[in-house]
Amino acid sequence: MYQYDEYDQRIVAERTKQFQGQVERRLSGEIKELEFKPIRLQNGLYMQLHAYMLRVAIPYGTLSAKQLHMLAHIARKYDKSYGHFTTRQNIQYNWPALEDVPKILEDLASVEMHAIQTSGNCIRNITSDHFAGVAPDELEDPRPWGELMRQWSTFHPEFAALPRKFKIAISATPGLDRAAVQFHDIGVRLVENALGERGFEILAGGGMGRTPHLGPVIGQFVAKQDLLSYLEAILRVYNTYGRRDNIFKARIKILVHALGVEEFRARVEEEWAFIKDGPLKLTQAEIDRVLAQFAPPAYETLPPANALLDSFRLGKDRDLARFVTNNVARHKQPGYAAVIISLKEKDTPPGDMTDHQMDRMAELSERFGFGEIRVTHTQNLVLPDVKAAAVPALFAELQKLGLASANANKVTDIIACPGLDYCALANARSIPIALEIMQRFEDIDYQNDLGEINVKISGCINACGHHHVGHIGILGIDKQGEEFYQLMLGGSAGHDASIGQILGRAFPRDQIVGAVEKVLTRYLEIRSSLEERLIDVVRRVGLAPFKEALFGPPPARTAQELAHADH
Amino acid sequence: MPKPPPQWIVTANFTADGAVAYFRADQSFSTLLSEAAVFVTKDAAEAAVQIALANEHLVADPYLTEVAVAPQGLDALTARERIRSQGPTVRVRRPDPITASR
Amino acid sequence: MRIIKGHAIVDDGFVHVADTDEIPASGDIIVSLDRYRELRSSLQQRSGKVGVRLHSDQEAKLVAEFLPSLALVAVEFPGFKDGRGYTTARLLRERFGYKGEVRAVGDVLRDQLFFMQRCGFDAFELKAGKDIEGALKAFSEFSVTYQAAADEPRPLFRRRA
Repeated sequence: MYQYDEYDQRIVAERTKQFQGQVERRLSGEIKELEFKPIRLQNGLYMQLHAYMLRVAIPYGTLSAKQLHMLAHIARKYDKSYGHFTTRQNIQYNWPALEDVPKILEDLASVEMHAIQTSGNCIRNITSDHFAGVAPDELEDPRPWGELMRQWSTFHPEFAALPRKFKIAISATPGLDRAAVQFHDIGVRLVENALGERGFEILAGGGMGRTPHLGPVIGQFVAKQDLLSYLEAILRVYNTYGRRDNIFKARIKILVHALGVEEFRARVEEEWAFIKDGPLKLTQAEIDRVLAQFAPPAYETLPPANALLDSFRLGKDRDLARFVTNNVARHKQPGYAAVIISLKEKDTPPGDMTDHQMDRMAELSERFGFGEIRVTHTQNLVLPDVKAAAVPALFAELQKLGLASANANKVTDIIACPGLDYCALANARSIPIALEIMQRFEDIDYQNDLGEINVKISGCINACGHHHVGHIGILGIDKQGEEFYQLMLGGSAGHDASIGQILGRAFPRDQIVGAVEKVLTRYLEIRSSLEERLIDVVRRVGLAPFKEALFGPPPARTAQELAHADH
Repeated sequence: MPKPPPQWIVTANFTADGAVAYFRADQSFSTLLSEAAVFVTKDAAEAAVQIALANEHLVADPYLTEVAVAPQGLDALTARERIRSQGPTVRVRRPDPITASR
Repeated sequence: MRIIKGHAIVDDGFVHVADTDEIPASGDIIVSLDRYRELRSSLQQRSGKVGVRLHSDQEAKLVAEFLPSLALVAVEFPGFKDGRGYTTARLLRERFGYKGEVRAVGDVLRDQLFFMQRCGFDAFELKAGKDIEGALKAFSEFSVTYQAAADEPRPLFRRRA
């Protein structure tokens, strides 16, 4: 992974010092909260319901063991001994004190980490595929390009006061998408054209929130060395023309939609023409420098993993079998596997991890890999380079830590935002809903029978829980000060992206999980085979059977209506 | 039965650690809803908000919110204010499973 | 009034003239773009320097043709969150080659100065009531930058040893 050089290190150190001064000026009263707020946001510091919240950046979801040890240390020393992994591959601490934050940033800087631009109206963390670099289905590792975009966007002086936040994701898997690129302000796909050349397909204007959109293609094929200048052109058009009159209409998706794709693209390409051959063109030296930092580790030459993994799947240890079936993914290097570490344990808020677990996970990453850990946007972790033969031993260790749930992509592998328990923006709680679902469906055999079910829960319209793209999506709303929940079906964040559709009236707190259960019961009744997933059934039959399961059959049509329908 | 007249409290977050703060009658701040000063006019509550705004070294983002005064104490009127006064409704720290060795 | 010019505090030589006010007979003045267009020939005959003030929704290209005659372009920040002025300044410098004074006016605070300077601003009217001496420290808070901007044409990757 990328190692800071003296420049990267100095930038982070100077930012830490700058923020230290700003905190002092806030505490002394020299700057007011109104002025301090955008400053602290650009340093990742929110004010939430009960405390500040610090969001630490984990660029493209990649961590070293040393970094994970430091995250554990920070949880222990400055917080309540746990952290929360987010849908943008970052980690959040819910209880830091303001005057400790500069010290936390110093500790982070000592392991090449920071909280820069994880909030605020600026370019946020660049996210990517959690299997980047090891997936057999990728063209090449997208993370070096993520790092190049990170450096280009960090303290970009022109784009620090955008109309709104700006999120970029990159993936490199033709026909597949584990980074939800279509739902980002800019989505970058590493592609190969008909001539066998590699370049980028650039999408712009995707997003969730109040008005979910799939981002259309703006740059069909951008040469690798033109990546940064193309992005700069898009950001400049957005900075100039993005709406600033209404916070709910300020994302780039609104601008793309208002101008239309053709006009938006024309403005981008007009600006790009001025700058594409300027100094922003990436040099081969820089591309090589960063690529070299992501060179594959010293893999051993091993026989292919499949036979071994199959033997575990069919073996006598049923717990191991389930784990290998659900949580172990194929690896491009023969004999290796990528293992999903589920942070979705019964009675635990999804995505939370204690300091103790973080320290042990860091150790496991060195014992069962090359000291690297990934964070998924589904709030789980990945050990990316596990020898297939070592999977049983790893599983045994994970069981001791309560990190061995074999539920990847099953109904209890829930994405849930912090919700009204923590977040000042929320309308309703999401974690208790997730916990109740996890309890209701805890039987692992039933979970396997249900198959792939992505449940995604957001506590408000900001959609940090990605509810629009859940197979089952749940949105918390406020009805006269009380918590209600909208249920939607049929969303997907993958390459076959779709936005979920609402199933009917919102449910009160004590009925929402029962509603989910009715939906799943109906799914089992009408699926055409064991392999037909819930999302496939919804796409085949639509919402009607599910609405019926929830609300009863629709009212009988009158003879007149039936006669009408025949025309 | 007619609805009781509205009453307000003023609440904010402590600047030092972001904890929930309630404006007391003596113009200091408490972490406890039960100690919040109750205002019977909105103007009086607004005046307290202004006092809070002048004390940014202590508290941030003050605002007024309605409460119900019940025999046993003050009741928050929304899910949000209930959770602010009582803390997260989910366990804050995940308990570690018993490990054979550490 | 005192302003920051370069990295020093100086007395401002310019006067902002509102659209409804008479143009003073002499002295250095700043007028709105609309006013400038309207009175251009008479302003050119007048002694004293002329500068144009751009609203945040007025792009650099609107003033490009006038730049050779202008001593100064003032770019308004109606609120510090309105970041259009950063693009405007960069384009004045990098696209249109403007060498005169580019001044940030409006809601200009210490914590924006470093980025403003990077984007090509070389003069700053700090918001009233703010500590102008303390603000000077903002310019030296970062010794390394990643990006190319008006103050440095090469991104860091072209400067790395």
